[in-house]
Amino acid sequence: MGTQVKDVIIKPDAPTTLLLDKHADYIAAYGSKKDDYEYTLSEYLRMSGIYWGLTVMDLMGQLGRMNRDEIIEFIKSCQHECGGISASIGHDPHLLYTLSAVQILTLYDCVNVIDVDKVVEYVRALQQEDGSFAGDKWGEIDTRFSFCAVATLALLGRLDAINVDKAVEFVLSCMNFDGGFGCRPGSESHAGQIYCCTGFLSVTGQLHQVNADLLGWWLCERQLPSGGLNGRPEKLPDVCYSWWVLASLKIIGRIHWIDKMKLRMFILACQDEETGGFADRPGDMVDPFHTLFGVAGLSLLGDEQIKAVNPVFCMPEDVLQRIGLQPELLS
Amino acid sequence: MAESEEEVDVLVQRVVKDINNAFKRNPNIDEIGLIPCPEARYNRSPIVLVENKLGVESWCVKFLLPYVHNKLLLYRQRKQWLDREALVDITCTLLLLNPDFTTAWNVRKELLQCGVLSPEKDLYLGKLALTKYPKSPETWIHRRWVLQWLQKECCPHWAERKEPTEGTHGNAERTHQNERLQRAVQDEMRVCADAAGRYPSNYNAWSHRIWVLQNMAQDSLKVLHDELSSTRLWVSMHVSDHSGFHYRQFLLNALVKELSVARERVTHLSGSDPHRPRQQQPNGDGTASPTEDHPWAAIPQLFHEEMELCTDLIESYPGHETLWCHRRHVFYLWHHWKRENAQGSARLTPSVNHTDPLLGGALVSPAGEAKNIQAMDVDCTPDASKNGGYTQDTKRLKRGPLPPYPGLSSEHSFISRILDDRRSPEQIRFAAAYKKWLDTVVGQ
Ligand SMILES: [Zn+2]
Repeated sequence: MGTQVKDVIIKPDAPTTLLLDKHADYIAAYGSKKDDYEYTLSEYLRMSGIYWGLTVMDLMGQLGRMNRDEIIEFIKSCQHECGGISASIGHDPHLLYTLSAVQILTLYDCVNVIDVDKVVEYVRALQQEDGSFAGDKWGEIDTRFSFCAVATLALLGRLDAINVDKAVEFVLSCMNFDGGFGCRPGSESHAGQIYCCTGFLSVTGQLHQVNADLLGWWLCERQLPSGGLNGRPEKLPDVCYSWWVLASLKIIGRIHWIDKMKLRMFILACQDEETGGFADRPGDMVDPFHTLFGVAGLSLLGDEQIKAVNPVFCMPEDVLQRIGLQPELLS
Repeated sequence: MAESEEEVDVLVQRVVKDINNAFKRNPNIDEIGLIPCPEARYNRSPIVLVENKLGVESWCVKFLLPYVHNKLLLYRQRKQWLDREALVDITCTLLLLNPDFTTAWNVRKELLQCGVLSPEKDLYLGKLALTKYPKSPETWIHRRWVLQWLQKECCPHWAERKEPTEGTHGNAERTHQNERLQRAVQDEMRVCADAAGRYPSNYNAWSHRIWVLQNMAQDSLKVLHDELSSTRLWVSMHVSDHSGFHYRQFLLNALVKELSVARERVTHLSGSDPHRPRQQQPNGDGTASPTEDHPWAAIPQLFHEEMELCTDLIESYPGHETLWCHRRHVFYLWHHWKRENAQGSARLTPSVNHTDPLLGGALVSPAGEAKNIQAMDVDCTPDASKNGGYTQDTKRLKRGPLPPYPGLSSEHSFISRILDDRRSPEQIRFAAAYKKWLDTVVGQ
């Protein structure tokens, strides 16, 4: 019984050059279809959606095309009494969207339009006794939320508000035998969680606690013959996982362990030549999420038409330089 | 279509009612789905109930979703009042269409807190949503909250309540609540298994299952054994499902820990050295099964059977990365267990290291290789049927006695055997990577 590797085949006529103008047009037009059914369906993550769109526009040097004032007003109206920020108006606050909002306001250099002290208090109060973070007041625990917490506080220059040692202890308790990390202690290694955990350890200056060779090994095994990266064994390659694996490799100083040229060709093949934007895989429907991670991935691979991206925050390096934030990277 | 706003309002309200009436009429609905149907057929509800499946005709969704969506958000902003009944109905419709709408689940948490909804009823809605969206992260997150709520409801710290007058009534109530909780745990395992079958390598389903074990399981040794045997056939039929195999790795690891705790307890109670020969133990008559007397003696057997399963699957289904990853992890766990126990016995009683039949001291010679295989077969090969070793039994009939316990050298000969068979290039690649992994990660 033979088996085929779970992978995609890149067609000979797939795009091989970066279509930056198309992507900028795609993102600029995306928010204008507000009555769209799909738009309603994704409202529960609107704040992150705006962060994806604005970040990719900034990386392409096109941030000026977005409606700054409208977005800032929107964010202000999403901050709640407790200090937390919600995905959209009328939704409940959550750490995920609090981080997205702080990232957007950092891009626009105006974090002070919201009550920063209250944001800090919101994040602080979500830390649990074991060092972990709940995503919101209902108490779900996940290493993703540990990352959201420290990333938010680092962008605000307030990392001292929480018990960092305890937070580190919890994240390390989620490390597995393969060097990877899962969502909670005992959970399977997953590229998205690994990105959050290595990012977390970078922000807190604890990357020496990672077994970089072992983790690098696991991450490199995510590359498939098509050049694309998957997030776990025997899953299909995907542009967003390509970003998470690549950024993790960059953080732990092992990015040269994969075939960069092949990955670049895979990412380029995920562009839609007509509509602009990137899909998860060649030929699928595009969306802003994969468009950001496609462009950011190409930036990490050294494409000079795009601004340099920071692998930890997934934001332009020049923005982080402006606020004096330089998360640790291994070499 | 040029429906006016009022027409849409009337239509949608009727559909929301139809959905909730369908649930009232048929409490056994076990699946939801969309029926592709671009046009409305007049005088017919878009809600269709066939056997126990609830279908929604696709044409109505574009009216239905924005309506319930906006209605709930207006309520959340205190711009419109909705009574509790209406909230239950609206969140139900909304979540069946868009189960990652976090705020709608939060509204239901509040309805649970004020007693309008029962945990079981709410878990049922999530179960249905998972039939159509088996990955939905927010549905799984909400379930964990509801399960914790149920746990609090069922065991509100009985010990703290000192009410002697309660007597037998209190006991009956306690039993009833405990049964209710165990039923929920059983149901939860079924929900996880169902979602795992609907979407391959379903991270959310399998990590939820781990969470349930970590947070809700009573008599964990039994549950861990049951889970190990009940997932055996499943993984054999889903050899690409890394999450399913990871679950077994988790079970093995948890079992080893539990069994080691059991060992400490026995040692502590009898005040005896765990490395002394068994005849000197209080209960030891030298004939009882070692797994009954000393549950930790089952550890080598567990690893052995898992490695055997892995070998069978790798040989039957060449070229599956998942199976090779599983092998790495199981061998790694086994290797470390052997090393730790070798160190432990060397530290305590170095002289009996090679004569101890319980810990397999013979097994863990400094070279880490099996030397006293025969003794281990006699002492530590329990009835395989107890461990659900269906495949194991059939294989053993074909092969004769169990091969030696795995060690580095048997792994290397396994790899050579695979490398000699040149049929699958993928298999060769994975075998070579495993060899490299053994040399660099384990062999150092
Ligand atoms: Zn993706």
